[in-house]
Amino acid sequence: MRAAGIALIVALVAALASLPLVLPAFGLTFWVNVVAEILIWSLLAASVNLLFGYVGLLSFGQALYFGFGMYGTAIGISMFGLGLWPALALGIVASTGMAAVAGAFAVRLTWHYFAIITVVFSLIFYFVAMSQKWLTGGDDGLSFSAPPILEAAGWMLTDRTTQYYFIFLVCLACYALLALVVASPLGLRFAAVRENEKRAQLIGINVYATRWIAFVLAGFIAGVGGALLALFGRYASASYMFYHVSGEAVVWAIVGGAGTLLGPLVGTALLIIFREVVSGLWENYLMAVGAITILVVIFAPKGLVGSLTALVRRGESEEREHLENPGIPATPATARAEAE
Amino acid sequence: MDIVIALTINGLIWGLIVALIALGLSIIFGLLDIINVAHGDFFMVGTVLGLVIAGTTGFWIALVLVPLLGFCLGLVIERLVIRPAISSASLTIVITFGLSMILQEAVRATLGPQPRRMAAPVEGTIHLFGIDYDVYRLFAALFAALAIAGFFLFLSRTTLGTWIRAVRHDRETATALGIPVTLVCAFTFALGTALALLGGVIAAPITTVDFRAGIDILPVCFMAVVIGGLGNLKGTVAAAVLLAVMEGVVSAFADPTMARISSLVVMSFVLLARPHGLFAGATR
Amino acid sequence: MENVLSIRGLTKRFGGLAAVDGVDLDFPYGVLSAVIGPNGAGKTTLFNLITGMLPADGGEVIFEGDDIAGLKPHQIVSRGLSRTLQIKSVFTGLTVADNLRVAVMAHEKIASPLRPALGFSGVNRRVEELLAETGLARLAKRVAGTLSYGDVALLEIALALANKPKLLLLDEPICGMSPAETETTVARIVALSKSTQIILIEHDMEVVFAIAERITVMAAGRVLARGTPKEIAANRDVQDAYLGAPEDAA
Repeated sequence: MRAAGIALIVALVAALASLPLVLPAFGLTFWVNVVAEILIWSLLAASVNLLFGYVGLLSFGQALYFGFGMYGTAIGISMFGLGLWPALALGIVASTGMAAVAGAFAVRLTWHYFAIITVVFSLIFYFVAMSQKWLTGGDDGLSFSAPPILEAAGWMLTDRTTQYYFIFLVCLACYALLALVVASPLGLRFAAVRENEKRAQLIGINVYATRWIAFVLAGFIAGVGGALLALFGRYASASYMFYHVSGEAVVWAIVGGAGTLLGPLVGTALLIIFREVVSGLWENYLMAVGAITILVVIFAPKGLVGSLTALVRRGESEEREHLENPGIPATPATARAEAE
Repeated sequence: MDIVIALTINGLIWGLIVALIALGLSIIFGLLDIINVAHGDFFMVGTVLGLVIAGTTGFWIALVLVPLLGFCLGLVIERLVIRPAISSASLTIVITFGLSMILQEAVRATLGPQPRRMAAPVEGTIHLFGIDYDVYRLFAALFAALAIAGFFLFLSRTTLGTWIRAVRHDRETATALGIPVTLVCAFTFALGTALALLGGVIAAPITTVDFRAGIDILPVCFMAVVIGGLGNLKGTVAAAVLLAVMEGVVSAFADPTMARISSLVVMSFVLLARPHGLFAGATR
Repeated sequence: MENVLSIRGLTKRFGGLAAVDGVDLDFPYGVLSAVIGPNGAGKTTLFNLITGMLPADGGEVIFEGDDIAGLKPHQIVSRGLSRTLQIKSVFTGLTVADNLRVAVMAHEKIASPLRPALGFSGVNRRVEELLAETGLARLAKRVAGTLSYGDVALLEIALALANKPKLLLLDEPICGMSPAETETTVARIVALSKSTQIILIEHDMEVVFAIAERITVMAAGRVLARGTPKEIAANRDVQDAYLGAPEDAA
């Protein structure tokens, strides 16, 4: 099981790494950018998943940190004239900082209240961004031309392949970080808090601090995604901070499989590919996305990856793994019992 | 000064309509413990059905027919998608989000993406506080107020209403008392849906009919429900009216967006400091 | 200092009702103590106040000489005061070994975000120890949610022991157990009490009078009587208010 999992991940990384060489050979050059976009958006889904799948908090406001990453980078380049890396860093610092402040309040709440407060925070800044046009460009957004990745080497984002590898490597680093964290003692704490908040307190875990750390880390991951999207599109807009963007990321994470590392990537990939293929033929393809969402939640609440893993595992004997997550946290009964 | 009075009245009217919709959201939350993200789209469907039915049979029939259709729609949705997922409660938000996509796209597919306007069933203006006022707006406020009053009467005076209150208060005891809890839940969801659609048909002549209308009204309803206290019905009504009046008056002096931002900030404070709402006497 | 835990004037009101009403209590070292009382007497509320899970309205909780009232639950736990809950509470989605691993790591303040959780040899040793101590070794790889009720209760005690507690509060440890499970659990508690201070809440009078060396009787938020099992059995007040009640025929 473990060996098979590693083999699968190596194959996936190899496939993603060779895409810009393989796809053009089949006349599918356009899809290089689609995959790059999938990788970027999957970080937003991964950020939702870190909170929901690993700590048990459903955030409907992750687009806020995505938007901060986006604007940090865009403003850094267009207003301060920063280079690519400092601008990327500015975006990530802005989103992580925002998550640190918002998280300090948000993680005081759990359950539906947490979902609501995260939406409220994101709505506040959405409206702020919409009204402060001098800074954000509001709905029209902020366009800029991207500085080089490395001037000496002549690496530019305008080259499709170079841009893909830049995005691929940054995303790979994020997933590697997440993989390390969820398998670490901190990740085990996350799982403990998700499984049973009360017992977690009673073994000496500071539940509030643990949730806050997860929230900041999720803000960081979302911020990297937003910064990358700004560079990818040479554009930032307040509309990316709206709660519908957060909701879409929740859908991707759940459809792919909350509580699994690659679930968000799989969910994002499937639904974005679905959009690319179907939206040209059928304008109202979102009806199908809505239906898929509902069907997955009812019939496979662990998501595609989660259900598949469960199936494979059932096929095997009593072999087991450490730190694997069973999927869905906090049933209403336990959550309510804990609240009392 | 006149402008303030006019805006106050405007806010009051809009607040009553919002209160009606938010009441639906609030009973669904209080009884089924789910956050219905599709509730704004229920309102939107109400405006659309109002437009279509009023166009063929006249407004007054639409006013009766649309909430009935909403009730049926609610029953179907509850049975098909809410009930199967109710056990994985935090995921019900995701389900209703999917539902919201379906409703919006279904309307866009049939009605088209262009916002439309609906003629008011009552023509004419009235001179009030130095300003000419559409008569229909006053009618809309009256309908909304009557519907709200009717809803509270229903809750307090009928057996079904008593059952709903009992299940809200304590589901297990209600089951033990022989109240058909599953049926009450289905009925409540349908009733909440009907209220949103009724709000839609009442509001249709004074707003635009657009498949995106739900996205705009949902946060407003949530603000009313949260500030009034999640599941506290009277608090919801009070908060809806208060917020609408406040936003109306503030927008006379400042950017309307600033009014929206300030109510959201108030909402955050309420959530963090008084999660049972501003008007909560005893805890739930 | 002869008391592991002293309580002075501890009070908690819910609305107008005083669930715990100005309670003074001392729990001496080296004695297995039990708190009994009819339903609603305030026993679990007392435990919740001691462990910081409810904020007290007034009074002191002195644990090993320090006032711990007002501290957060996790702070109290890290001072060496553990408890189990009336409704058995473990990490249902994690394996038995991971349940203990996270508890041991919490105690040893290990929260590294990057090192693999399985790579701490000291922690692994301690987990093995706890598994052996509680007889859960054979279930180490099972997911806690699939355990039998008795084993869940055992795991909960193991979790509470992970921080090497100086005082262990057990809230109805044998409630809901089969006679066989009761027997083994009681034996375990008695064995445990040789090395760890224990205070338990229990409804089963037979068990309490068999194993407790000091009994506190609570009724309506107050202490009704204290003493050895013999003294309590002979106490007229207790008989009237509690032992004579038909519900305690068991």
